[in-house]
Order: sequence, then structure tokens, then C-alpha cells
Amino acid sequence: MNETQSGEAQSSENLDRTPVEDADVCVVGAGPAGALLSYSLAKRGHDVVILEAGPRFDMEHRVDRMKLQIHPDRGVNEVWDMGGERDAYSMSGEQDWPLNKRRVKGVGGTSLHWGSVTPRLREKDFEMESRFGVGKDWPISYEDLQPYYARAEQEVGIAGPDNAPHQPPREEGYPMDPLPNSASDDLFAEAAEALDIDVQSMPMAINTGKYDRNQCQGYGTCEHVCPSGAKYTAEVHVEKAEAEGATVLTQTPVQRFEHGPDGEEVTGAVYKTPDGNTHTQEADVFVAAAGAFETPRLLLLSESDQYPDGLANSSGTVGRYFMQHEGALVIGIVPNQETYQGAYGPVVSSGIQQFYEGTAERGGANIMLLNTSDPSLAERAIDSSGFGDDLLETVNLYGNSIGTLNSVEMLPREDNRITLDRSKTDNHGNPVPDVQVEAGEFSEKGTEKAIQVGKDLIEEMGGNVAFVQGTTTDSDEFIEDIKGGYHPMGGTRMGTDPDDSVVDPNLQTHDLDNLYISGGGVFVTGGAANPTLTIMALSLKAADNIHGSLAG
Amino acid sequence: MPIELTRRDALSALTAAGITSTAGCAGFSDRTADASPMETLVGVADVLYPSEVEVTEEFIETFMFGRITDKEVYRERLTAGIETLNELATNEFGSAFLGLAPDERVSLFEETALRSGDSVHDGGDIEQVNYHILDELLFAFYASPKGGELVGNPNPRGFPGGFGYNPGVTQ
Ligand SMILES: Cc1cc2nc3c(=O)[nH]c(=O)nc-3n(C[C@H](O)[C@H](O)[C@H](O)COP(=O)(O)OP(=O)(O)OC[C@H]3O[C@@H](n4cnc5c(N)ncnc54)[C@H](O)[C@@H]3O)c2cc1C
Ligand code: SF4
Repeated sequence: MNETQSGEAQSSENLDRTPVEDADVCVVGAGPAGALLSYSLAKRGHDVVILEAGPRFDMEHRVDRMKLQIHPDRGVNEVWDMGGERDAYSMSGEQDWPLNKRRVKGVGGTSLHWGSVTPRLREKDFEMESRFGVGKDWPISYEDLQPYYARAEQEVGIAGPDNAPHQPPREEGYPMDPLPNSASDDLFAEAAEALDIDVQSMPMAINTGKYDRNQCQGYGTCEHVCPSGAKYTAEVHVEKAEAEGATVLTQTPVQRFEHGPDGEEVTGAVYKTPDGNTHTQEADVFVAAAGAFETPRLLLLSESDQYPDGLANSSGTVGRYFMQHEGALVIGIVPNQETYQGAYGPVVSSGIQQFYEGTAERGGANIMLLNTSDPSLAERAIDSSGFGDDLLETVNLYGNSIGTLNSVEMLPREDNRITLDRSKTDNHGNPVPDVQVEAGEFSEKGTEKAIQVGKDLIEEMGGNVAFVQGTTTDSDEFIEDIKGGYHPMGGTRMGTDPDDSVVDPNLQTHDLDNLYISGGGVFVTGGAANPTLTIMALSLKAADNIHGSLAG
Repeated sequence: MPIELTRRDALSALTAAGITSTAGCAGFSDRTADASPMETLVGVADVLYPSEVEVTEEFIETFMFGRITDKEVYRERLTAGIETLNELATNEFGSAFLGLAPDERVSLFEETALRSGDSVHDGGDIEQVNYHILDELLFAFYASPKGGELVGNPNPRGFPGGFGYNPGVTQ
């Protein structure tokens, strides 16, 4: 039994981690992609087993994890016990991301960590090549995905605006009313009106009361931990899947998939357990939902005599066309204006979607208005070395800040990719993933635009722009929060042509009949919308298809 | 208009958040040696918190212990930390912390690595005092409505005071 950073004990030895007999579906990874798919299938009577590399975290210790997040000397990776040999990686390209601050291993996956901003992609995102001559069209349209978006929103519980501008068509309202405006939303809205810019509520996966989990209690620490459980995490659907009979085996990192002699089907997922044993889970269908960093790696690690370049990789595109959203941060100070940062609760409640469309030369931007643009009071207090009245004065130095955080479209590039770094291994002796990313001009222009909008708004409200970072900043100078890796996408992209894509529109791999991939990896282009709602919609779509194939 | 949170509101917020069911009777006032750990904590908080604040045991029970999960583990850390603190006080001024005059307590902070040194959860003795006692006390205060209100924020991050606070900022 190990005591972890939060004080939460991970008692692991005595759980039964032997393979489930006669499983219909084996899902690798218990993040949003794996959880919704598992629930959707378990509910329809299929025997589902989820193999999850990380542990199950308890609710009781969330408050300790929240305190880790607030403590200035504790790293973001420590909040959910990431790091060490288990999570080793390389970054050999232009950008250097702190990967273990950008992913979580455990039941819930990276949604334990996420900000819960949940917009849909737009119609144009599926048609970038035909509309703008850049990127590549998806083999499905917005209309194809629309019903699944609606289902995902209902499942998860999204608070959002029904009739806001710059949104794609909706078939019905959001399950919950949008979050109320924060003080900084109001300040932005007033300035925006003068500049003819629309500020609108942001769809957020936060329970404001209607859903069967705690209502938001205003800790204001949603990213990276919500102690109340109001913020949706994929734990919700893992538990729902379990209630429908699914089995979850935690701390069972899958090492590789094995295939049958004809190479047409996966026969087993080989996994390790904490006691050092190796097992093989058999099933009729396998779903790789290990996140966009680990899924390509798992396919590459599954190389065999028949597939020397890795599984599902006859196109040679596994790991390629990897993307993220380029980030940019604009912080301003509005003299004599109290901005109540951190008092509101959720980190974001409104945004600007007017510049989402972009152009052929410039990536679109999803501009999020921050409710927490300065460090928390407790963090400032602890970080200082003062005490008493002097300390109060230091803590009080802030109070007038305001800011935007931007998510900007990046085009898929063949040479932005995930490969295996064979010079470095994890705790099981497997080569680690190597991530190589270069932003490109399209996203640089997009971040410039997003930054300009933020600056204009801050100046319009009489503020001074105090801090700006984005792709055009020298990446060596990036503060940690701006270093990328938040929204990994691509690397196992979807398409109809087996020569240039890995999965078909139902997320089934072209090469192996019973292997599916669910997650951001299947995105063809990335849009500028935070990816997870789309990941969920796609996983519900894949589940329908798997259900059909199992039933037939 | 700032929200005035009473202790009862604070307790109900913490209880609703599921993180304190027994605040107010967590038993940290047990007398161990000469002074109870709680008395020492109140004395330390008096130095740490702004002078206008009158520190009470109740405040510390609610806002600090209310958000400590593993109380047994913490009790051990507290005992060890208070021992370190008393040793420091004895070395500097010849008496345990509670025996020091107010200005001696302040000097102790000024002249040792308390606050100014590193704060490490499994570090050296003083580093652990910084982490487990001083930082916890600061969290208790600056993530409470009482600390927040002094800087115009009645619901600072880390405190579950409900969502949607917006006192109105535009004309
Ligand atoms: C700080 C932060 C904030 C974010 N905010 C937002 C936001 O506001 N909105 C949004 O849409 N998105 C956000 N994201 C992105 C979001 O978290 C991801 O898009 C989402 O979690 C992806 O879901 P997934 O299930 O594909 O992968 P993950 O959530 O990463 O889950 C993958 C799971 O697979 C497991 N796994 C990996 N390898 C193996 C293996 N070999 N064997 C077994 N299990 C394995 C992992 O342990 C993990 O639990 C944010 C991300 C970060 C880091
Ligand atoms: S503000 Fe709401 S959603 Fe965010 S951490 Fe607090 S309770 Fe959770």
C-alpha cells in the first residue's frame, strides 16, 4: 500500500485483476472516450471490461488534491499522482510540453483534470478542405454527428445557452440553463458592445442543480480538481457502466494487442498488474481509448511479424497528423476596478465565438473569458514569505486583473507526430512516446488575432494589458500554463481511404475487423472548440455501431 | 454588497461539500503536554494572520481541521511540528512558543526559517513546520470568507461558498 501525495492510499494488491471470461467488449482506458462507450454498450446488455492503467481515486481526498493544486510549491502533475517511470515520455520537436501536467491516468482519465468547457465543433470544421482549401475534410458532416452531440450533452449534463449567436444548429435546448454571468463577464460584455463583439455564455459540464451529483459549490478549482463532484468527470459513466454490469480492472496498463494468425482480428489485450503478473484479456471487440498520446503508442507497441510497423498502421499514418489547440493568454489590469477573480466559482462562464470561423490563412479562435485570471488568495499567501499585516498587503496587491484564454485551430501536418522513443523505456520496459509538434503559420495567425481581440477589449474597459503569450512568443519563454498539450488530437485519424487514415467513420480500424479507436486521435482537423464533447459524441456513435455488429 | 458568511454558513458550506461532518468537535484541543496543540496553533495564527483578526479555536477547528481529511496522520505531523517550534523558541528565547511574549513570537518568525525557508511536506524539521502548520493555517484563513473579505472576495478559491458571486461591476 502506497501513500500518495494527497495522502490517499492506493491499496491495490488485493483486488482481483484476472481477465473477465466471455467478455464481449474490452475497452482500454477509462477516460471520457472509454466511459461513455462502455456505458452505452453495457446498458444494452453487452459484457464490457475496462482495463485502466491508473487507479480509482476516492472522493474523500479530493479536498487534499485541491490543496495540492493551491500550494505554490506543488506541481500540477502531483495533483493526480502523475510522473515517474510509469509516465515517462519524450518531446523532440519544436514545442516542449509538460505532458504529465496535461493528462491523468485513472478512472475518469484526463477529465479529472479538465476545465469542463464543452462547445460543439462547427459545420465548417468538418469541411476545411472544401471550404478553405486547407487541412482535410472529415468523412462525416456536422449533421451526422449532431444527434450524438445532443445525446452526449444530455448524458453529461451541460449548462449552456440555447439561443446564442455563432453556435452551430441545435435540435433542442441544453439540459441546463447557462451559468450566470460573472463580474468579469459583465466587464467584458460592456467593452465588447462598444466594439461590436458578442460575449456569450459558454457551455460548461457543471451541474447547476438538475443532475444526480452535487451541485456546484464554488471552489473555483475546477481545473485541476473539483472537490464537490459538480464538474463532470468520466467517473460518472464508468460507475454507470459498472451498475449495468461492466467490470473495471484498475492499474492494468495494456502492453500490447495480440492478433490472430490471419491478422484480421485482435484476439487479446495483454496487461500487467501491480503484483507483477501478466494477463491477457480476450473479447469479441476491442476499443483503444487510451487518450491521444497513448493510443498511437499502444498500436506501435503492438508490432508483430505480420505488422512490423505497428497495428492498424498499413497506411503508415499512425501517430501522424497529430494536433493540439494552440493556446494564448492575455492578462490585463483594470485600475480602480475590482474584478472579483476567484470569487465566482467555475473558471470560465462566458466566451467569444465571433472569431471562430477563421479564414483560409488564419485559424479560428475560441476565446474563453477567465474568472480566475490571478492566483488564488491562499496561493499568494503561502507563496510569500511574509506574515501578519505585511502578508495581507501582499495578498491584496491583486484584485484588478482580467484575462482571456484562447484555444486556436492548428492544421494537421504529416510531420507533427507521435513515435516511439526506443532509447527510453517505461517501468515495464516499453519504449516511451515521443511527441513532435510545430505550430505552423495558420495557428500563429489565429493566436495573433485572438490576442488582439483580448487586448482591444481590455483597453476598451480602461485597462492595461499586462501579460501576453501565444504561439508567437519564443516558446522557451512560455510560462508553464501556456506550454501546450491540453487538447491532443489526431494521430489515428478517420477517413474512408485505408491508405491515408486509420479508422473509418464508425471508428473501426481499416485493418482489423474488431478493433476500434475512440478519442481525440480520430479527429481529422481540430477546429477550435475544446475537443471532449466531440470525443464523447463520436464514442456514442461508435458504440451504436459496435452494438449493431455484436447483435448481428 | 459583500456576502456576510456566519460561522454557521461556513460550516454548512463545508458540510454540504461533504468535507466536514464533525467540525467543531474534532478533538484537537486535547491537552497533551503542557499546552494543547490548539493553543499553540492559535498563538501561531496570531502571528500569521492580520492584526485586526481575533483568532479563535473555533475558527481553526472549522476552517483548518474542517478541510483536513486524514486527521490521525495530521495529528502526528502537528505534534512533531509543535515540538520543532518549541525547540526553536527555546533556543532563541529560552521558552516554549506559548511562553514567548508577542514581540518575541514575531522575532522568532523573523530570525528563523519559519516562513522565509522552504516549505516541503517531507522535508527537514522547519520545512515541515512551514508546510504542515504555517501553510495549512494560511490556507485556512485565505481560503475562508473571513480572510477573503479583507481583500474584497467573500468566496475565495478553495472555499465552497456557492457559485455565481457577482456583486455588479458595470454601470
Ligand atoms: C488541464 C486540462 C484542461 C482541459 N480542459 C478541457 C476543457 O475544458 N474542455 C475540453 O473539451 N477538454 C479539455 N481538456 C481535454 C480533455 O481532458 C481530453 O480531451 C479528454 O480527457 C480526452 O478523453 P479520452 O478518454 O480520449 O482520454 P483521457 O481522458 O486521457 O483518458 C485516457 C485513459 O486511458 C488510460 N490509459 C492510457 N494508456 C493506457 C494503457 N496502455 N492501458 C490502459 N489504460 C491506459 C489513461 O490512464 C486514462 O485514464 C483538458 C485537458 C487538460 C489537461
Ligand atoms: S467551482 Fe463548481 S465545478 Fe468548479 S471546482 Fe468548485 S464546485 Fe467544482
